[in-house]
Amino acid sequence: MIFRVYINFKPGILDPEAEAIMQTIKNMGNKSIEKIIKGKFFDIHVDDKKDYFNEIEKISENLLSNPVIENFKIIKKN
Amino acid sequence: MKEKKIISIIIFPGSNCDRDLSVAIEKNLGIKPNLIWHQTRNIKKTDLIFLPGGFSYGDYLRAGIIATKSPAISEVVRLSKKGIPIVGICNGFQILTECNLLEGALLKNSNQLFKCEDVFLKVVNKNKFTSGFKKDEVISFPIAHSQGNFFVNDQKLKELEDNEQIIFKYTSKEGLIDKSFNPNGSKNNIAGIINKKKNVLGLMPHPERATDSFSSEDGKIFFKSIYEML
Repeated sequence: MIFRVYINFKPGILDPEAEAIMQTIKNMGNKSIEKIIKGKFFDIHVDDKKDYFNEIEKISENLLSNPVIENFKIIKKN
Repeated sequence: MKEKKIISIIIFPGSNCDRDLSVAIEKNLGIKPNLIWHQTRNIKKTDLIFLPGGFSYGDYLRAGIIATKSPAISEVVRLSKKGIPIVGICNGFQILTECNLLEGALLKNSNQLFKCEDVFLKVVNKNKFTSGFKKDEVISFPIAHSQGNFFVNDQKLKELEDNEQIIFKYTSKEGLIDKSFNPNGSKNNIAGIINKKKNVLGLMPHPERATDSFSSEDGKIFFKSIYEML
């Protein structure tokens, strides 16, 4: 079983890296681009003995994301 | 003459200002700090704890987060609840926000630069940590960071303001607090804050690098103020 945890900034948090990437794409000639949201994901592999969702949620909250600035979303993959 | 106080510095893998801090404390206060490795599970006696600057765990995941899971940080949290003063400088400040001893978070500098320069700071609120400075005095410490962009939401910002928890703000030499003197995009030019209980201080600038005759010497007053509070 794999849990994929997506992390990205909450709305309103400035992400200079995403801004720079967007600017670069614009400079490359694509003028239609309006916004880029950058994030990251973690694939956490666990055994199939039980549902680890609650544990993964705790890990996401206490370590992988900072609730002051980031949101996370967990997707179960088989 | 008061009895000799015990000052501790916690060292993490990747800390790199621990020695500068130790030298500054010893030179200015005549106290040789205890250097404590982050895996220490029991900090027996200390009157004050410093978390030094650097790049603990290579800033992996988010600056400071991995360090918060060290056994020594559980001790820092425990001792802070007992009222022991804690001071986090630069990466130490990032660690204190990540372990929720201080509000907010430190984001990447909005200008995407690693900023290494002398800055002017205004002491916007006086408390025990800054007793040697006058209120609104402009002082100078160096900064050296790429993630010093202090962020809190507006509600928390108001709480920080109402409780007089904002201690240092980036300013001009003349004391003008304006965006143009903000090196990293931090909210309201904030450079350093304390907790509600007023025994935990975090700041991005480096007072330990401002104690020699070839630099600003305002750090000397900073360390003396801290000694006075013990």
